[in-house]
This record gives sequence, C-alpha cells and structure tokens, in this order.
Amino acid sequence: MSEFKYHIEVQNLSTWFGKKHILKDITCYFKDNSVTAVMGPSGCGKSTLLRSLNRLNDLVPNFKRSGTVLFRGEDIYSSGASVYDLRTRIGMVFQRPNPFPMSIRENLTYGPKLHGIKDEDELDKIVETTLKKAALWDEVKDDLDHPAPNLSGGQQQRLCIARALSVNPPVILMDEPVSSLDPISAAKIEELIVELKNDYTIILVTHNVQQAFRVSDLAAFLYLGELVEFDETKRILEAPSDERTEAFITGRIG
Amino acid sequence: MASDSSAESTISRFYTRLGLRDALKSKRHFTDYLFKILLGLAMIIILSPFFLVLFQVASVGFIQVFGTGPGQGINFLFTFPGAGLEGGIRNALVGTTELVLLAGAVGIPLSVFGAVYINEYTHPGTVRSIIEFTSDVLAGIPSIVFGAFGLAFLVHYLNLGMGIIAGSLTLGFMMIPTVLRTTQEALRAVPMSLREASLALGATKWSTTWNVTLRSAFPGVITGVLLAVGRVMGETAPLIFTAGNNLSVPTSITGPGSWVASMTYTIWVYVSDPRQYLQQKAQGTALALMIMVLAIDVIANLISRKVTRRLV
Repeated sequence: MSEFKYHIEVQNLSTWFGKKHILKDITCYFKDNSVTAVMGPSGCGKSTLLRSLNRLNDLVPNFKRSGTVLFRGEDIYSSGASVYDLRTRIGMVFQRPNPFPMSIRENLTYGPKLHGIKDEDELDKIVETTLKKAALWDEVKDDLDHPAPNLSGGQQQRLCIARALSVNPPVILMDEPVSSLDPISAAKIEELIVELKNDYTIILVTHNVQQAFRVSDLAAFLYLGELVEFDETKRILEAPSDERTEAFITGRIG
Repeated sequence: MASDSSAESTISRFYTRLGLRDALKSKRHFTDYLFKILLGLAMIIILSPFFLVLFQVASVGFIQVFGTGPGQGINFLFTFPGAGLEGGIRNALVGTTELVLLAGAVGIPLSVFGAVYINEYTHPGTVRSIIEFTSDVLAGIPSIVFGAFGLAFLVHYLNLGMGIIAGSLTLGFMMIPTVLRTTQEALRAVPMSLREASLALGATKWSTTWNVTLRSAFPGVITGVLLAVGRVMGETAPLIFTAGNNLSVPTSITGPGSWVASMTYTIWVYVSDPRQYLQQKAQGTALALMIMVLAIDVIANLISRKVTRRLV
C-alpha cells in the first residue's frame, strides 16, 4: 500500500462539462477527523468538486477532467480503480433528502446487504447504531417498518445521514445538507456533523458562511472555479487574505 | 299565503340544487354553468357505450356464464365443445390463457429490459429518439397487420407453422410497444437523486437499476403490462392466421396438434354462425372474456398496491 497523509488529496484538478470549464486547477487536501467546508457563491463549482471525489460526475455524459484525486494515496480515476469500491468507502449526503421509497429499516439495510451482510441480527444492529449516530433512533425506533418518505424533511435528512453511515465509510461528503430544511432541523444536523467528525472525515459544501464558521475546522473558498483560499476556517473568516473572500464573507458577492 | 311561500321555497330549493340560482346571476355565471353542463354531457356520452356494451353482452351472456341449467355456468366454461359445437368453451378459455401467458412471458421481460436499456444505459440522442418513434408507430399499427406479419414471418419464413408458438409470439410482438413506452415513462419519472443515493452507497449500476429504479417505477410498469395484456386478450386478427383453432387443447408444440383456440376467435366463429344457440354462446364467451380481463386488472392492482405500500 502506498503511503498517504490524508484520506483525500486533490492535485491540479480541472473539470469541464462539455466546453464549460468548471473547476480550474484545484489543489487541496482534506484532513482526517475534521470538517472541511467548501464555500463559495452559487455556480462556483463546490458541488462539482464534491462529486468529483466519489466520481458521481461520471454519470454526466460530457464530463471531462484532468488532474488527479488521491484516495488513501491511490488515484481514483486510474484505470485499475473500482468506482464501486470507492463509493463504498466515501459516503454522501445530498442537498435534498432522498430516502429510498422503502421502509426506514430497508433504507438502512440496503447498503449493508449490497456488500454481503445477510445476518438479520447484524443488520438490526447496524440499523440501531446508525440511527443512534444520526440522532434519529428515539424518534423512529417504533416505526422502523413505516415508509421513509412519510418522515418530516429534517428526519428524512438524518435518515439519509444514517444511510450513508450504514456502510461505515471513513469519509462522508455532504452537499449543502441543510439548505432545504427549516432552521430547527438545520441546527440539529449541524450539531450532528460536529459530533460525527470524531469518527469520520467530513467534507461539507455550503454557501452559508455562518454555518462554515460553526461546524468546520478547515475551509476552502471557491470562486468561479478557482480555489481562492484554503486554510483554517477561523483564520479565513477573521482575516481573509484575498479580497474576493472578504467580499463573499461580508455578503457583497454570493 | 303560507302555502305560497312553501311552494316558492320548494322551487328555489330545486333551483339551488341544480346550480341555476348562481347561473342566472350574470352572464359570466351563466357561461360558467354552461361549461359544467357541457363537460357533464361529454362524460355521459363517453361512459354510455361502455355500459351499453356491458348490458348488451350480459343480457344474453349472463345466463350462459352464471346459469345453472344444462350446458350453463360451470358446464359452459369447463367442458369442451362437442358435436355441432354444443357444449362449453373450455378450449377457448384454456387457449386464451396459454396464449396470453406465453405472449407475456416473451413480450413483457423483453420490453421491460429494452426500456431499462434505453433509459438507463444510453444517453439521450438520435438512437433513443428513433427507438421511441418506432415504438409509437408500432403501437398504432392495426392488429391485422401484426397477423399478416406473423403469418409471413413466423409461420412461413421461420417455418414455425400455425399453432400456439406462432400465435403467442405474434401477440408478444404486439405487447412490446405498449409495455416498452409505459415502462420508459415510469423510469423517467424516478428522480435522478434516488439513483445517485444508491450509487453513492457503492451499489453497482445493475443493483441500482433493479432494486431502486425499477422498484420505484413498478406501479407504472404494471399499468403498461395491464394495458398490453388487456389489448392482446381481446385481439382476434393476429390469431386468425397464426394460431388456428382447436376444439380441444393443444397437444404438441408444433404441427396441427399445436393449433389452439382463443376466446376472441371463438366469439367470431360463433357470431358468424346462424344457429341460435351459438349466438348465445358467443355472448357468453364475450362476457367471460370481459370478466377475465377485469379479474386480471383487479389482481394486478392488488399486487401493485402491495408493492407500493412498501414503497411510498
């Protein structure tokens, strides 16, 4: 196995959708057991960066890329890499809650079953532990066989977090996970993110500066596809070294 | 005086009930009312042929299918026709069941997998549009053309001969455009985010398609299958040249022994016959066919609801 310093390192990554140049020569890394916020105004390439890390962009027909992304020191885009194995080890939570139209339990056993866990007791244990980690267990423990889409938006999103945890990935990508939720649900999920970083490496896309400040340790500021700043969140927000960052933080762009 | 006011209130109550009180308030109210009446009339005209057909068929056929006399009821449905076509329609009942089962076994998986391939494994473009256009055209082709195709291609060119194989394959072909297109529409309605959620868990393309996409699209697929099964069950033309007829059930899969009767063919033959009792049997067969289609519809809806309850 090759040596690696961080779970994920991005080197000179550029991406295109057709002729549209989205990401321009991004180089950064994501530190273990911490929350890294990827901030920036809409359309700056935050989500594209995130979705390049688990190769979800591959689904887009005219997606092109240059540069490398290293997961545990290995290039995820190399011809020998298995995209399915990669995604097993990098979980993802989406902008809108997207539970499967199945029961709560089935949502959580879907991943483990794919990877060959058949023992019912073990599956039950996964359901319980992931729901507890996602702070949803007390609310749904009696309704595990109820349809997941009947939950409230905030509960659905926590279920989606639990679902991402169900295959126990070391890294979790979160694409504006609270942007479609009410403030109370959003606060709950932010709390959860802070708690989860003890066990996971979290990469959080957000356009909300306050949120980045509250939950993240490191922050990357993207503007029009360029990585403008990448440092500790506190440092960036207190003393931005680039005027574009300052403009974004103070609300002049965004 | 008292009786006057009560008479007035009866009339006004009647007016209110018909909605006329509002209708006469102004010209706009009246136009609004007029359209409500027009749409209602259209609905009545749409529905009446259905009930007329049902009543017409049932008025003669009911006694055949549900009667208890000799040659009626169970005897009508479950005995083979005898001398002079007296007896029942077991040959047709079994024949149609076999034909539709075989046609479905060929047509449904082919069209569902075809739709999955087009929708999930190819990108939008010329090829996809050509396939969609072709299926739309195929869906509108008269069934007699399918019958002629079955005769020319299956019976003669592939030398299958008339019989259950050629007949059910012809019906299977007929099912393809309907099932393909409805499955495609159902797949298209499944949000992309569900596929992404599954892929992000490390699921393969196929397990995502099978466990998430197709499962979510299931009610739509069932609708298409029902439409197609209902259609081919009621088709006569494709079977005339391909399935033949039989007073018993097929005994082999090739040759004259494989000829098979069908409800529709039987109705056609019996209706064309001047003998009075055959006319009645034709109506009975028609009623039995309608009940079969209805039963399939109900069962499929139950299945769909069961699957959806787990889904939604």
